[in-house]
Amino acid sequence: MDRAVIHLNVADFAVAVERVVDSRLKNRPVIIAPEGAARSAVYDMSNEAFLAGVRKGMALRQALRICKDAFVLPPHQDRYERAMKAFFKHTLPYSPLIETGEGDGHIFMDVTASRRLFGPPMDVAWRLRNKIRKDLGLDPIWSVAPNKLVAKVATRLVKPTGEYIVAAGEEENFLATLPVYFITHIEKDDLLRLSEFDFTKVSQVVSLSMKQLQVLFGNRSRFLYETVRGIDFSPVLPAEKSVPRILLDHEFGDDTNDIAKVESVLYRLVEKSGKQLRHRHLAARCLVLVIDYSDGLRCIRQKKADPATANDMALFDLAREVLGLAWFRRVRIRHMRLICDRLIFPPAHQLEIFPQSFEKNRRRISLMESIDSIRSRFGNHAIRVGRTIACQ
Amino acid sequence: MYAQTAKKPDSSHPACRLRVGTSGYSYAEWADAGFYPAGTPAGRMLPVYARFFCIVELNYTWYQMPKPQALERLASQASPNFRFTAKLTRSLTHEVEPAQWCGEASRYRDGISVLIQSGQLMAVLAQFPPNFDRVLKNRRFLAALLDELDGIPLAMEFRHRSWAHDRVFAELERRKITMVTVDTPSLPGLFPSLDVVTNPELFYIRFHGRNERGWRSGSMQKQFDYHYTDEQLFELANGLVAKMTRQAREGVMFFNNHVRGQAAENARTLISMLVEIGLMEKITTTKTTQPWTAPLFT
Repeated sequence: MDRAVIHLNVADFAVAVERVVDSRLKNRPVIIAPEGAARSAVYDMSNEAFLAGVRKGMALRQALRICKDAFVLPPHQDRYERAMKAFFKHTLPYSPLIETGEGDGHIFMDVTASRRLFGPPMDVAWRLRNKIRKDLGLDPIWSVAPNKLVAKVATRLVKPTGEYIVAAGEEENFLATLPVYFITHIEKDDLLRLSEFDFTKVSQVVSLSMKQLQVLFGNRSRFLYETVRGIDFSPVLPAEKSVPRILLDHEFGDDTNDIAKVESVLYRLVEKSGKQLRHRHLAARCLVLVIDYSDGLRCIRQKKADPATANDMALFDLAREVLGLAWFRRVRIRHMRLICDRLIFPPAHQLEIFPQSFEKNRRRISLMESIDSIRSRFGNHAIRVGRTIACQ
Repeated sequence: MYAQTAKKPDSSHPACRLRVGTSGYSYAEWADAGFYPAGTPAGRMLPVYARFFCIVELNYTWYQMPKPQALERLASQASPNFRFTAKLTRSLTHEVEPAQWCGEASRYRDGISVLIQSGQLMAVLAQFPPNFDRVLKNRRFLAALLDELDGIPLAMEFRHRSWAHDRVFAELERRKITMVTVDTPSLPGLFPSLDVVTNPELFYIRFHGRNERGWRSGSMQKQFDYHYTDEQLFELANGLVAKMTRQAREGVMFFNNHVRGQAAENARTLISMLVEIGLMEKITTTKTTQPWTAPLFT
């Protein structure tokens, strides 16, 4: 049976939430950016500001030069998270398969099996949009499509308002006329490679055979072949069982820019997540670090763990690198979130070519096993890493 | 696809060509109900539907502005003799923005142009919400909308009973616009079921079902969960339909009680009854179709 996936997308989510809080902001250009910081960047903007030329990540000073009458607001992450929760709650009665983004106003719902109960998917989407508009004051764009990929591209196409229905079997025709950059799943490197060959439209990429794509993209060819044809089998995950990952937060009592203190907290987060990973016999393939600066700006960076690991020391090395990427502003940090993502069962130990690194890894594993065994017998505080004591 | 039999229509009736179909055809639950073979993908439902019916009412165009390319692909799945009616988009009936609706009407005209060109569009159905009553503001809007959509074959369905007025019928008659006859539950405030024909070219009937409990439930699955009995259909065929047939050149009828495939079942029963009483001609189908009486194609 064809799937029916609804994608709800509140365009410019942060601005939409701010407009609910303060109705005076309606119909005027709004920029969300931390104020006061010398080099603060645009976090989000309203459609009016976008049309004037303001873009995410642009320096606020430049944005205000382009859009002089814009109203500037600092980011309020707590508001966005609350709004996202309420948004999510409204969708719950319609399907058990609901997947949300990271407080960004995106929700996927698989209503394939709910049709008998609630009627045609497009009617569910329309009613839901009306209810959300009435109850929350948010006006989501909606689309109905046979999979997540096409549903997401469809809402992107009609942004900032509207709806789009892509019938089953229409996926390829729907995507064919679009520029390649419109396909959300295609990454920057692939776009660059495509542009080198002057492939700007999806229809041009569709004309390439699998073999031709293999020459250009190697092991990415299968993914591209399917993506440009609107093939996407990825499921909408159950609401109560979103992507399996470990998420840990730390709120600094006082905003800080003390590197030792930040690294110490980071190590403690790594320790906790490492413990959970080992307890669940899992390993992380990706580390994500979310930093909230004291001026409200949020920065998210991630790095791939190769090979996947659950070892504190290996995780910390990686976490430190991610911290370096995320903490690029001379602004104090208020909140830090560490996410161990893309969890897998640990890969089989492969013999290393260079015995030196093999020996180092073996020692690390052995050390972690000893620490875990001491902690399980005498408690978590029985043995601690010096780094975590330093900040106390 | 169909071959006409030698049987002539009843000469006591003027030659009115009737078409019976359903409101929408892409319902996954119709496979459970046995209308579509199990596992029929949505993209392959229309060809199966077209084996049994010669017309369909497209209701997705109420949710989304029609797109020429999509309609062209859709039309190509059925025979050139297959006919469509399409609902007018909600931004022109239910969610009208005063500053934007003219543009929307123009976009709708562009979107539907493919079916007009191919001669497959029987009518555009403008269905107004229950709160759209006959007050000056709404009358003015309606007049402006009809001017804007001039040239498109239109059928108007009102849900508020205040529109059941001779002056409304007269104006529709003057403009040669079809007023939709509805079969709904007997509830206060609903537009009555009238056999008034305002356009001698076409009459249009929508059978919504008579589910009194579910009608105002806010859920389509309850509102349109109704099964017409054979007795009720027989009465409709011999009464309402027979009477309207005498007043128009063509007539279209749609069952909107889509829940659990009841619309398709009722539509097929009505077709067989209309054939029996001589209002439709019996035709034979190709080998690929089921031995079913289907409406006349020319």
